[in-house]
Amino acid sequence: MNTLMETAPNTFLPNEIKVSWNTPAADQPDIAIRIAGLRKSYGTIQAVRGVDLEIPKGELFGLIGPDGSGKTSIFQILGGVMQATSGETTVFGQNARDARSSIGYLTQSFSLYQDMSVEENLLYVGMLRKLSKREIAERGGRYLKMFDMDRFTDRLAGKLSGGMKQKLALVCALIAEPKVLLLDEPTTGVDPVSRREFWDTLAHLSGTGMTIVVATPYLDEAERCQRVALMHDGLIRQIGSPAEIRNGLGLHRLELRTSDLGQAEDLLQSGREIVDVQRFGDRLDVMVRDTAKGEAEARQTLTTAGLETREITVGEPTLENAFVSILRELNGEQRIPAFPSRREPFSPSRAGIAIGANGLHKRFGAFHAVNDVNLEVKYGEIYGLLGANGAGKTTTIKILCGLLAPSSGAIELAGAQGSLRSSQVRQKIGYMSQKFSLYDDLTINANLDFFAGVYQVPTELREERKRWVLEFSGLEGKGDILTSSLPGGWKQRVAFGAAIMHEPQVLFLDEPTSGVDPLARRAFWKMINQLADRGVAILVTTHYLEEAEQCNRLGLMVAGKLVAQGTPTNIKAAQPGQLLELIVSQPQQAANLLKLEMEPWRVSLFGDRLHVIVESDAETGIRQIIQQLKQHNLQVLKAQPERFSLEDVFIAVVEQVRKKGLRTED
Amino acid sequence: MKRIIAQAIKELKQVTRDRLTLALALVLPLILLVLYGKVISFTVTGLPLVIRDYDQTPRSRQYVETLMASGSYKLVEAAPDEKPETLLAKEQARIVVIIPPQFERDLERGRKAEVQWVIDATDSNTATTLRGQAAALTEAFLREHGLKGAEIAPVIKAETRIWFNPGGDSDKYIGPGAMAVVLALFPPLLAALAMSRETEQKTILQVYVSSISAHEYLLGKTLAFFILAVAEWALIVLLGMWLFGIHFVASPIPFLVGTVVYLFCCVAFGVMTGASIRDQASTIQAIAMVCFLFSFLLSGFMFPISNIPASIRWISNFVPARYFIEITRDAFVRGGGWPAVWPSHVALLVLGTLFLFVAWRKMRNMQLED
Repeated sequence: MNTLMETAPNTFLPNEIKVSWNTPAADQPDIAIRIAGLRKSYGTIQAVRGVDLEIPKGELFGLIGPDGSGKTSIFQILGGVMQATSGETTVFGQNARDARSSIGYLTQSFSLYQDMSVEENLLYVGMLRKLSKREIAERGGRYLKMFDMDRFTDRLAGKLSGGMKQKLALVCALIAEPKVLLLDEPTTGVDPVSRREFWDTLAHLSGTGMTIVVATPYLDEAERCQRVALMHDGLIRQIGSPAEIRNGLGLHRLELRTSDLGQAEDLLQSGREIVDVQRFGDRLDVMVRDTAKGEAEARQTLTTAGLETREITVGEPTLENAFVSILRELNGEQRIPAFPSRREPFSPSRAGIAIGANGLHKRFGAFHAVNDVNLEVKYGEIYGLLGANGAGKTTTIKILCGLLAPSSGAIELAGAQGSLRSSQVRQKIGYMSQKFSLYDDLTINANLDFFAGVYQVPTELREERKRWVLEFSGLEGKGDILTSSLPGGWKQRVAFGAAIMHEPQVLFLDEPTSGVDPLARRAFWKMINQLADRGVAILVTTHYLEEAEQCNRLGLMVAGKLVAQGTPTNIKAAQPGQLLELIVSQPQQAANLLKLEMEPWRVSLFGDRLHVIVESDAETGIRQIIQQLKQHNLQVLKAQPERFSLEDVFIAVVEQVRKKGLRTED
Repeated sequence: MKRIIAQAIKELKQVTRDRLTLALALVLPLILLVLYGKVISFTVTGLPLVIRDYDQTPRSRQYVETLMASGSYKLVEAAPDEKPETLLAKEQARIVVIIPPQFERDLERGRKAEVQWVIDATDSNTATTLRGQAAALTEAFLREHGLKGAEIAPVIKAETRIWFNPGGDSDKYIGPGAMAVVLALFPPLLAALAMSRETEQKTILQVYVSSISAHEYLLGKTLAFFILAVAEWALIVLLGMWLFGIHFVASPIPFLVGTVVYLFCCVAFGVMTGASIRDQASTIQAIAMVCFLFSFLLSGFMFPISNIPASIRWISNFVPARYFIEITRDAFVRGGGWPAVWPSHVALLVLGTLFLFVAWRKMRNMQLED
């Protein structure tokens, strides 16, 4: 890993990838986007520091990188809505600004008029794009139908669910039938089911020859791109297909299951063969250069310390592993300071129930938002609540922390039953939601002072706690800057710090990491684990299923019901059927075909690979698929069984419940 | 042109979508108009007055009767040992009229009698009015009771005759101005909010990525809010004419043309403000500050422009309401017609164009600013 150099972003490329840098524009008609020497400064801040990039026509290209790495600036320049400081940006040989008519741009905030209906939004955007009324009606109708939204033409955009807003924004971007589609973090705040549908659509559009550039903080999504570029600090650090980037690390991943994850993590951190250790809910991911040596060292380290090694399996590194490793080399590991706790050390054996719910129901008129939920979270446990938008997660959390009274059912919270709103109980709980934010017009210090006051942090502890929040957020000595000047991910960290300043015993986190980059997410989860080790009970919701792996136990909610509970490993093991990964000659065509043969949710396209969930065992499944594709002259180059990801399980469960007729979304 | 109209249609749809905003946009101006009309008045009525009659004769009582007949005062009882200054200080009375002993006898003998008016001049405007009334009422008392002494004819006598508003009815003065001031506030407010909302909610990006040009976008917005302003105007004029009892005293054509340029000018100001300010909260403040205060103080609505010190007076040249007040006062009070008001029309047109031009300068790139 000595190949990362600031000045030459392509030195890291494997040799067989030929990307031509700085070639003249005219002689390559198949290049859709060409960026050369692009720089953008805002005052003294350099957001983009010299980017060269070429994207061929029809490619699905991903831009990944931490918050503030310059992705949005590139999109705004490509979209022609912002002037570059220097450099060249051309789209099909035309200056990006002049090529606006052939560009569709979906911004982070979706740019929808919330107080206008779906139809009116389309009409206005169509008019801006100089389309005739007939064209708007025809194309709008076609795309709405394609996204299964044609029933909602009269609904106000503001009243649509997150997933539908995103689809409407996409229709708005598509209505001018652009040749290039720019999507800036289109799936933030969108649930996994909608996200997968969205990516299926992108794969389809890319198959029709549309060039798509998409930025995302979710690296499992980036796996579905044909090529990705990793940006950091205004430069492209690495570029290639997801597989190349994953393998380019030269590392292997060991999944390790042991009796005490926290202790094992600390021990393995310093191993010679071990490059990185990441902790998940019921396992550690250990990155090693050599599988055999690494495994031996890990086993020995754990045995010496008297820990039992339950299982070690070898896997390929994920894009997220690669991302984190690369950024760690650029940035250095961020230290997570220990929380200045004043509590007794915690022993898991004495743990009692922190959050308990028995037969919980909540009805809003005819709408049954929470339907017979039973759950139990012990002190020191991290419990993850997963579900699509509108599945009832937020309502459940609100009931459990006493913000909302249930229609029926019993609740136990931090030892109290019945009145959950007494100040003693409230003093013991902490709550942070995705929407919970700081006061933008106050300085960070003023915000922290305010929350310390509200949560009655003892005066003598305040300075220490405030210092800790700043350190945790990586903002030491910057307490006097205005909160509004912080990028989203940093703000989220300060908000998280503010929510735990009073050292709660029970912590509710409602999508705490929405829109936060992988590095910051990692810091969040290290902290969450640290708190759990100190005996805090944590209930967390997330849309990001990779992240759900960090939980000790999970509950899957569909249409107000808790349909599955267990450890991540258990839940995945309980999923019937088999996941197959296929490499086929024409992936897009094959996907379309298979979607006709079986239920569409069982098939999804990941860049050049195809994921198919079959009901039978692997062998029969592969045989059947090979046959089905053969009939249409499509060839399967490689097929192998894969382990279920949590997302596969989630989508399968939701689809099965939906099939049974439970309502999941309005 | 098509895009301008389409832009305007979209704006109007958005406005009508939010029933509350629409109701406020149409009803609030009317409420404000009523408040202006009824609260602001230069006519003195019902001021508390204490009489110290040390004469206690039929004549002195006649004098008091004359005062009370004017309807401007309300007689207040006060303890006889309270000093007049104390009465004023305690706000028990605004005026104390002291009739000296031997008031009747002095008058009968054709001697000079003095009545003392002690007036609270905290509010100098009212005090001035009262001073005038004191003289006028005393004069009336003398004339009524045939007590005029031999007059010495002055060399020059100023004969005054009140033109245009002979009754001194302040409704005729306030009414037309109030209409202009109310219209100076609401149309620009709505237009400015519609502009800054797009920046705040980032929908402006949708506009920037399309190829609509700055002038199409701005004219579309201006057109939409001009139409809305006309609706507000119609309601205000109807209510105002009824409320203040005013009517056209000359051809309404200059007024109607003036309305068009004035509303254009106001909306253009809103569009300019909204183009320059990125969030709605600051926009509201800016519009309230500039449109409301300037139109109130620097337009000649309350205080004659000539009374404003020259160092501030120049600002009034950029206050659209100033010109429209000229036009409305002419239409409802003076009746001078085109020869009297055309410069105001020109000024409004120039100002409106200037505002739009500034907005266009700001937006012409149709790109994000660094």
